[in-house]
Amino acid sequence: MAIIDLININYCYGAGTPFEKQALRNVSLSVAPGDYIGIIGHTGSGKSTLIRHFNGLLRPNSGHVLINGKDIWAKPSLIRSIRFQIGLVFQYPETQIFEDTVAADVSYGPRNMGLSKEGIDLRVHDALQFVGLDDSYLGRNPFRLSGGEMRRVAIAGVIAMKPQALILDEPTAGLDPEGRHMILEQIERFRRESGTAVILVSHSMEDIAEHAKHVIVLDQGRIALSGTTTAIFNQAEQLVHLGLDIPQITKVLLELKKKGYPVNTGATTIDDAEQEIMHLFEKGG
Amino acid sequence: MPRDITVGQFLPGHSIMHRLDPRTKIVLTFFFIIQVFISKSAISLSFLIALLGVFIACSQVSPGKVFKGVRPMIPVIIFTAVLNIFYGSGDPVLSFSIFHITKQGLFTGFTLMVRLTALIAGCSLITYTTSLNTLAAGLEQLLSPFKRFHLKVGELSMTIAITLRFLPTLADEFDRIIDAQKARGAEFGSGNFIKRIKSYFPVILPLFMSAFRRAFELTNAIECRCYRGGEGRTKMSVLRLSKTDVGAILLFLLAFSLTIIFNVLFPFQY
Ligand SMILES: Nc1ncnc2c1ncn2[C@@H]1O[C@H](COP(=O)(O)OP(=O)(O)OP(=O)(O)O)[C@@H](O)[C@H]1O
Ligand SMILES: [Mg+2]
Repeated sequence: MAIIDLININYCYGAGTPFEKQALRNVSLSVAPGDYIGIIGHTGSGKSTLIRHFNGLLRPNSGHVLINGKDIWAKPSLIRSIRFQIGLVFQYPETQIFEDTVAADVSYGPRNMGLSKEGIDLRVHDALQFVGLDDSYLGRNPFRLSGGEMRRVAIAGVIAMKPQALILDEPTAGLDPEGRHMILEQIERFRRESGTAVILVSHSMEDIAEHAKHVIVLDQGRIALSGTTTAIFNQAEQLVHLGLDIPQITKVLLELKKKGYPVNTGATTIDDAEQEIMHLFEKGG
Repeated sequence: MPRDITVGQFLPGHSIMHRLDPRTKIVLTFFFIIQVFISKSAISLSFLIALLGVFIACSQVSPGKVFKGVRPMIPVIIFTAVLNIFYGSGDPVLSFSIFHITKQGLFTGFTLMVRLTALIAGCSLITYTTSLNTLAAGLEQLLSPFKRFHLKVGELSMTIAITLRFLPTLADEFDRIIDAQKARGAEFGSGNFIKRIKSYFPVILPLFMSAFRRAFELTNAIECRCYRGGEGRTKMSVLRLSKTDVGAILLFLLAFSLTIIFNVLFPFQY
């Protein structure tokens, strides 16, 4: 059964004011356990608005949000329990850190869940492990860490709630290539080992191509395209038309194909692309 | 882009009221307040209400919106009015034990209610039709004669402008941090008083951090652009009085004098 089901969601900011803005139009999608979904779209296309519906931070003007088959707005008083099932990591999550030790900050979520002291400690340890920070970080002041480390502490703060789905809004924004790579690797490992569904919002086509299995393209609040990563990035013209880019490797392969070389343009990782090109050399040579 | 909605509830538009120079509006508001205070008799009060009606018509703001601006103040208005009913001496209408409701008290209470409502409605009209930045620019111009008395008008207006510029940004940030902590299961506004205050720590602390960070960044950015106080700075958009402004000022002077004439001709009596 799907963890998250959105059915015909519509959302409008500032309804009835001169600032009215229809941010989502008839959005439907479904997320199953273990999925890795990438959401891409031009600035202002509604990505951040969409993910705020997954854990009930925003209530749709019309349509239904089902978590594990239950409409979360059937009983608005129970919305808080949804937040522990669907973990949401915001853009620049390090700005939400407020405690004076890493352990205290990561434990904020589990404490809100009302877990026992031992349970909390275990979760904090596990969550930090997942983001690649060992126990020596527990007592450190989060404000004295590097930007990348702070980001990982913030992500650990959400992972510590052991959500069934982990949603990340541009988790790599403002990090160096090394830091980006590390965070995405750790998220991928977390998904594999825990079976949690991951939804990644990103402006980096490379990141999406490399990690996501399924891609949803938003345009002006609508789902413009949805399909497997390979299928989506093969529609280069469509994506460019929507103000988006395609991964560099896809660009190279598409150019090769245009020149008449027999390549499979479906490669999404650098390794796959390398193989494709090596094949070409072997065939040619 | 900052959203211009969170404070001041400015409603963009092209009405006469919107087009008036902010200085005209500030000065006229000032006179309107005085007028409210000197309008005590029934006749000058009716005139005041008519005048307010004209203002609302000129601003193209719906009366419902204006009332919305007054609504939060209703408890205060009623409290003041009721207090005035019991206060004061005169011909008793009703009395029980030490409380006496007098004819005069009732009249004062009622007129006070009308006057306070008119006052708030008038002032809210200004915020509906003037963006805060324009208002600040107008204020700066009006205060500029005080430079002679070593009032740092340039610095003052820079401070006001920066505050206004960052209020929506901070409001956005506040919303964002609230959402982020809610996503971690935070609960606001439940439990006893101490608990409620405490529940806001996870929001207030990051907000302060980010405000300080922004302040330092802004200081650097300003210094890098060689800003050294407001001395001799010129304006990008210069305020100019138009014919509409002159007309509005003349009409208002007329209305103001009429109120004074009413007060002289029909001196206030119960
Ligand atoms: N609080 C708000 N009030 C009013 N309008 C808003 C608000 N938040 C977002 N919007 C508008 O809704 C639309 C969608 O915004 P959203 O933040 O979801 O875009 P996004 O896809 O996340 O963009 P980005 O890639 O820049 O993060 C935009 O046009 C935006 O201006
Ligand atoms: Mg966004």
